[in-house]
Amino acid sequence: MSQDDHDFALPDSLKPADLRALSAFIDGELPQGTRAAVLEHLAQDPEAAAQVEAWRSQKSALQALCGGVSQRDATDGPPSFVVVRVAPPWWRRISLAACWLAVGAGLALAVGPLASRLPSGWIGAQPMSFARRADVAYAVYTPEQRHPVEVAASEEQHLISWLSKRLNRPLSVPSLQEYGYSLVGGRLLPGEAGPAAQFMYENSDGARLTLYVTGITDDETAFRLFREGNRRTFYWVNSHMGYALSGPISEGKLREIAIDVCGSLGGKPSSWKE
Amino acid sequence: MKFEAEVISWLPQLRRYARALTGDTAWADDLVQDTAERALARWAAFRPNSNLRAWLLTILRHLYIDQLRVRREVTVDEESAPWRDLVAPPGEVDGLVLRDLQRALYRLPIEQREVLLLVCVEELTYQEASIALGVPIGTVMSRLSRAREHMRVLLTEGPARIPTPLKVVRTP
Repeated sequence: MSQDDHDFALPDSLKPADLRALSAFIDGELPQGTRAAVLEHLAQDPEAAAQVEAWRSQKSALQALCGGVSQRDATDGPPSFVVVRVAPPWWRRISLAACWLAVGAGLALAVGPLASRLPSGWIGAQPMSFARRADVAYAVYTPEQRHPVEVAASEEQHLISWLSKRLNRPLSVPSLQEYGYSLVGGRLLPGEAGPAAQFMYENSDGARLTLYVTGITDDETAFRLFREGNRRTFYWVNSHMGYALSGPISEGKLREIAIDVCGSLGGKPSSWKE
Repeated sequence: MKFEAEVISWLPQLRRYARALTGDTAWADDLVQDTAERALARWAAFRPNSNLRAWLLTILRHLYIDQLRVRREVTVDEESAPWRDLVAPPGEVDGLVLRDLQRALYRLPIEQREVLLLVCVEELTYQEASIALGVPIGTVMSRLSRAREHMRVLLTEGPARIPTPLKVVRTP
């Protein structure tokens, strides 16, 4: 875009009607010479000066209204709102694509989609991908102090209806009060095949658990454990919904809670109790 | 910085802008989510070293306009307008002034509201705004000055002279 648009004719006849110039003056978008000319003009034209004043206060009022410059929490703190998507960097994707091309586009087309659908058992004991996502989401959001969730539990109805709408199915949030965990709130995340919801719980010591919910194509009833660092994730599938409960607590305890959550969400935990 | 990380770093600002633009928190959250999804899915369309923020704002804008079309009619009802629920931050400027300002803001046509917010609140340069809006800088300047003047007139008229409390805006 050229800068020429800034250099409109000025200033020997700056009329009060030249709103564009006054407006650009406020935003500091005038070239030095033009700016000086506008300043000079304002000194002699009270009407134009009043207009500039009104617009200036309008600008700061808009900033106050919309949480302007003072609310720059993005630059001096962790972002309040994050989308997690584990994807290789572009250069790796490009080189991967190039490899596929070399192998043969037909083969790539045939094998590419298939590879992602192989049952997890085929590749060692890989956890289902939604469980990994749940674990990553736990790791990303639970350390957040200021903005752990997008919608707080105080707006539980809004939270549930919003997330239900986005996941396109009615959701319910199980209570973990009997284990000492209360709901903090939830957020929406992009899952593999559509959106996912993350609900966060916290106990009085500040320890957090998350319940991750997403629609998935598989429908197996297995109940599995997945470990990463000090975190544990129990996950299961019920009626094409994947659920994952993550937290850094003992396996026995987490399992007990997961069984309870599964039952309260319409699953049949009895089927995977040994 | 990785592309994803960079997109993520802009989300709080996108969210603030979406809230101001729509005046509707839930709608804004949806818009930002959709924008992020689309941006991450279309990473290949982004030219490295160009302005990521403006690119994200363009995506958000297109989504918003599409969604406005789907809704076709946006009822601006004084009592139940969603922006009524947005809480103006305390301090600095008097609350009643902000309420009037808010009312005026959502009376502006969308082309004026968006440019006003991009420049005044998001503090985009005219050049960035022109990229985000897909119009020449000259158009940014005229729209912006018209928006400012429109706001000023609405604010000085005051609510008493604004005739109808209910206004239906039909989008083409």
